[in-house]
Amino acid sequence: MLATRSAPIVPSVAPFLAYLRLEIRRSLRNRRYLMFTVIFPVLLYVLYTAVLDVGAGPDARIDGLTWPVYFLVSMAAYGAIGAAMSQAVPVATERRQGWARQLRVTPLPGLAYVSTKVVSAVLLTVPALFLVGLAGRFVNHVEIGLPTALATIAVLALGSVPFAALGLLIGYVLDVESAQGGMVLSYFTLAILGGLFTPLPMLPEPVATIGRVLPSSHFADLGRAVVGGRLPDAADVAVLAAWAVGLGTLAAWRYVRDERSGRA
Amino acid sequence: MTSIAALPTTTALPAIPGSPSAVTFDAVGRRFGDTVALDRVSLDISAGETVALLGPNGAGKSTAIGIMLGLLEPSTGTARTLGLTPHDAVRSGRVGAMLQSSGLPLGARVGELVDLARALYPHPSPRDAILERAGLTALVGRRAETLSGGESQRVRFAIAIAGDPDLVFLDEPTVAMDVESRRSFWGDMRRFAEEGRTVLFATHYLDEADHVADRILVLDRGRVVGDGSPAALKATVTERTIRFAWPAAAQSDDAHLTALPGVLGVDRRGDDVTLRSTDADETVRALVAAGIAFRHLEVAGADLDTAFLALTSGGDRAA
Repeated sequence: MLATRSAPIVPSVAPFLAYLRLEIRRSLRNRRYLMFTVIFPVLLYVLYTAVLDVGAGPDARIDGLTWPVYFLVSMAAYGAIGAAMSQAVPVATERRQGWARQLRVTPLPGLAYVSTKVVSAVLLTVPALFLVGLAGRFVNHVEIGLPTALATIAVLALGSVPFAALGLLIGYVLDVESAQGGMVLSYFTLAILGGLFTPLPMLPEPVATIGRVLPSSHFADLGRAVVGGRLPDAADVAVLAAWAVGLGTLAAWRYVRDERSGRA
Repeated sequence: MTSIAALPTTTALPAIPGSPSAVTFDAVGRRFGDTVALDRVSLDISAGETVALLGPNGAGKSTAIGIMLGLLEPSTGTARTLGLTPHDAVRSGRVGAMLQSSGLPLGARVGELVDLARALYPHPSPRDAILERAGLTALVGRRAETLSGGESQRVRFAIAIAGDPDLVFLDEPTVAMDVESRRSFWGDMRRFAEEGRTVLFATHYLDEADHVADRILVLDRGRVVGDGSPAALKATVTERTIRFAWPAAAQSDDAHLTALPGVLGVDRRGDDVTLRSTDADETVRALVAAGIAFRHLEVAGADLDTAFLALTSGGDRAA
C-alpha cells in the first residue's frame, strides 16, 4: 500500500541544475580559485610577453604562431587546467565532513554529485580562458576573430575533462590535508613538463619526451590548432580522451568504494 | 542486575491499529570486518511516532540510521523504510535526514543551501516557513564557514525538513548546541512532529530522550536492550532512593543502616542520609520499627539515567 502511495521517481534536471548553480557560485567566491586560475595566468602572460624580453622577435614562429599568440594559448591552458582541477580540495573536504553523504540522503541521484563536480569544473575554465584572451587582445593586440576565439574557448573547455577527472581522483584518494599539496604538485608537473611555461621544443629531450605523454601538452596543442584556424589534431583528441577515460575510471572506482563504505 | 531477559521487546508500545510502519527491521545485522555493529535487530516504528535511539557510543545507533537511509547495506536481514527499500524511500523525497557532523560546503550562503534543499525535493515547504521553523531568518545571507556549531546544526535541520518529509532522521542533532539552543531546537522539533510526522533521533543525552520521545529504543553493543515509553523504561528499574535527615546519625555507624532489608548502599553527609534500596517499602517499615528518628523522609524513583545504566553495559561496569 505504501509502495503505491510513494511519488513516482521521475528523473529531472532541475535538482541537478540547482546544485550546479550553487557549485559555480561558491567556487567563484573562492580566492584560491581566482588566484590560481585567473590572476596567475594573466600576470604570467603579461610578464612573459610584454614586460620581460624572452628573446622572441616579432617574426619568430613556434608551431606557426607568434610568441604572443603561442604563449596566450599556453597560459589559457594553464589557467584552464587549474580551474578544472579546482574540485580536488572541495571533494576531499566534503567527503571528510560529510556533505557528500548528506546529499546522498536527499532525492538527488548518487551520480549527480560526481557529474556536478565534473560539469562545474569544466564551466569554471571559461573565465580563465576568456580573461587570458582579453589580456592578449588588449596588451599585445593579438587579433583573433570572435568565431575563432569562441571556438577555442569551447574546445579547451571540453578538452579540460581529463583534468577535472584528475581533480576528482585527487579528492577521492587523498585526505583534506594532503589534497591541496597533491593538487598543486600535479598541477605544476603538468604545466612545466607539458611545456606551458617553457615551450616543449625548448625543453631538454628526456623531459620533452615525458611531456609529450602528458595530457597538458596535447591540451595546449588542441588550443593552438584551433587558434591557428585548423581542426584539432586527431592524435591530441585521442590522447586527451584516453587520459579522460583512464582517470575517470579510477575516480569512479574510488567513488563507488566510498559509497559502499557509507562514507560519501 | 537487570538482565536483558527482564526486558523483552514485547514491552514495545502496541502498534497503533491501522497505522503503517515507518521503519521495519527484520533481523538486520551489520558487520564491519570483525566488529558486529548490529546484531540481528528486529524493530517496527509506526507512522507518527517520535522515537529516540538511545545508547552509548558504539552501540550501533548511527549504523542503524545508516541502514534505514540506505547509506549502508545490511549484512543480513531486511530493512524497509516507508514500506520501500531504504534507497527508494530516500529517492521518493518523503524522507529527510540530518546526519551526524555533516559539514556544510564552504562559500555557500544559508539561503542558497535552503534553496538547494528545496530544489532537491518534489514537494518542498515554502522557503520562509523553513527558515522560520529552523530559526534561520536572520542568517539567510551568512556564509556556511562563518556559522557557529549550533547555527550550522540549524541549517542542517532546515535541509532535513525542506522537503516536507513524512519521516525524519536526526543523528545526534544537538551535539554542537549550548543548553539554550538545545531547548529551542527541541521545541521546534516537537511542533514539527505534532503535524503527524514520524521522527527518529539518535542521542546520548538521556534528558532529550526522556522529554521529547514517546518511545525509546535502547541500543547496546548492536542489540535492542530496551524498548518502551520513558515511563515504562524507568519502571523496569526497581531501585529507589530514600533520603532523610537523622540528627543522631553521627553517633551511629553504617552497620545499622546497611542491615536494613533491601538496602544496597548507604551514603552519609553530616545529618543527611541517603539509602539505595531495592524495596523501599520494606526499608521504610524497618526504619520505623528500629525507632530511627528520621525527618524529611523522601523516596524517589529511578531516573532514566539509572534505567539506562541498568540496561546497558554501563550497568555492568557499575555493578
